[in-house]
Amino acid sequence: MADIDDLLVAWAERAPAEDQAWRSARPGPPLAAVASRLSSVPRPFLDERVSLPALAGDVLGESLRCLSVAQNARVRLGASVALWLIASEDVVEPFTPALAGGDRAMAVDALALRLAPIVDPLDWIGDDERREEAARTFLLWCGFLPAGESVETARSLLDARDSLRRNAALAEAYAEHRHRSEIARRLSEARAREAAARYTSE
Amino acid sequence: MSALHRDERDPLVLDEYTPGAAAVLSDAERWPTMDDDGAARLARWRRHPSAPAWTHATGDRLTAEMRERVRRPLPTEGWLDEHLATARRLPYYRGMPGLDALEDFPPIGRPHLVADLASFVPLDADLDRMVHGTSSGSTGAALLIPDDVEEVARGFHDLVAQVHDAGVGWAPDGERLALAHLVHQRDAFTYVSLVSGFGQRAMARVNLHERAWADAGARARFLADSDPQVLTGNPTSLAELLADDLRAVVRPLALFSSAMALSAPLRAELETAFACPVFDVYSLHETRPIAVRTDDGPFRIRDRRVLVETLDAHGRPVPDGEVGELVVTAGENPLLPLVRYRTGDFGRLVRLADGSRGIADLEGREHTRFAAADGRLVPCVDLTQQLQAHGVRGWSIEQAADGRVSARIAGGDADAVARALDALLGRPLTLERVERPADLGEGKPRRYRSALG
Repeated sequence: MADIDDLLVAWAERAPAEDQAWRSARPGPPLAAVASRLSSVPRPFLDERVSLPALAGDVLGESLRCLSVAQNARVRLGASVALWLIASEDVVEPFTPALAGGDRAMAVDALALRLAPIVDPLDWIGDDERREEAARTFLLWCGFLPAGESVETARSLLDARDSLRRNAALAEAYAEHRHRSEIARRLSEARAREAAARYTSE
Repeated sequence: MSALHRDERDPLVLDEYTPGAAAVLSDAERWPTMDDDGAARLARWRRHPSAPAWTHATGDRLTAEMRERVRRPLPTEGWLDEHLATARRLPYYRGMPGLDALEDFPPIGRPHLVADLASFVPLDADLDRMVHGTSSGSTGAALLIPDDVEEVARGFHDLVAQVHDAGVGWAPDGERLALAHLVHQRDAFTYVSLVSGFGQRAMARVNLHERAWADAGARARFLADSDPQVLTGNPTSLAELLADDLRAVVRPLALFSSAMALSAPLRAELETAFACPVFDVYSLHETRPIAVRTDDGPFRIRDRRVLVETLDAHGRPVPDGEVGELVVTAGENPLLPLVRYRTGDFGRLVRLADGSRGIADLEGREHTRFAAADGRLVPCVDLTQQLQAHGVRGWSIEQAADGRVSARIAGGDADAVARALDALLGRPLTLERVERPADLGEGKPRRYRSALG
């Protein structure tokens, strides 16, 4: 649990507010296309001996927040599977629209830090329900709605499958992590730092 | 050297006071209801020929709806039950069973807020209203307090109500500044603002320190012209009003002193010089105003969302009338609802003649000045700023009758502190650095002592 907690803290610090993610999401690839790729992850992406930083560098060409906690096996595997979705655009064919138009690093971190600690990435491959959760999570944090879905529909469908939300203890702990990072973020904003006119000394 | 033209080698430079560095909003965002008259007042005092070089710009940020809401105090009936219910939902108290009544809550202190401020902010708080407040505090470590813009603005109307209760009328009066908030320190945020709910009259935060003004007569000309109705500050800045150039030019309806202990002799001098009520307010930034007095008797605990207990070192209640640490439950700031907050100050809880509660023999707040080698008296806040800027977490600074200074600091950059103290005071210095504030000694270390101040 302590381990999961640390990973959720890392995600809470990394991610913008979920409301904001939904607000800015725009039409993306079909859910079935992403789920189908998840069910066919090539064996090398599941190999524990693969160097995640090297894989991320090759596939994405940028760094990931999850690399700092990649000693965790679930994080490593989750990131690796997410990187396959990105690599598959070269290996199989690009999604329509292509993922490059979204925030691919955020999507990888979402699967590695938000979902993998709670749902074993092997279940994303083998279990239909968990695969849909992973695909929806990936699309949201990449900046996309599944093709043909409105924000309201996409949100309620992901909420219904969201393993973090369905675990009361984890959800409460995560809400507190989000609260901490949101306050830190707001206080670091210039408009908060300008302060307000004060009338007395304290 | 003026505040605007700093020498890069100046060992006392504090980056956060770089003029304008923290001001980012437009005037329309600072005063959403500003009208043409308000805008003209702003322009007038910002550009007044004797005005200081303002280092900051900030407003009250009140919309029309907020402006009306802050005119009235928050209701106090039943507030404590509601407050404790809010507290039980704070992240800090979650999972703590048995917090049924006030006395079930474990006392907290400044270190709790420093360690995890967010766990004391309600999860459903309106963070859109959150702005920075800072607090230098009694043990030295700077603490960022989340201020609520409505609560800060309500504070002005609270001052008006207190002045009215003292039998003095205070209403907008021509172009006089509604209020001048005075400081007297080497570096300070200074600004002109409008009080949206007080006929859009201007107010200003003014630094009386010589460095803030273009010439020696400027501060007197500015105060004479702006003629502030009410003056607020700490004993150091209010004492400056007694200087020859200022005594005859200000004509306040009332004075408010806070942040440090106001000595009886200084109160008497201020009352004599200005023939107006002098309010001595006991207030912490974390808790907001706790108690106030207008004479040298006990402080009267405010009839607001505030409750004071006295506890011993083990957190056990001390009987009324005996000295204990003042522990405050404070519900005025919705972003920081505090339960049983240890102030580090001491006093006795007493019953006043009219039956209300008071605090007698309040000890803890400091008003110490150090004598520099060239004869200047340097207020302790100047030392506080430097010590904090160099990462010192707690300290004890003493000046002996021969002028020598001995400093004990916990943490921080000892070399930089030595340079800063030399630049401020120019006195022989003995400096000892320890690791932790607790290494400074048992209890709350006295931060400043001077045989010459």
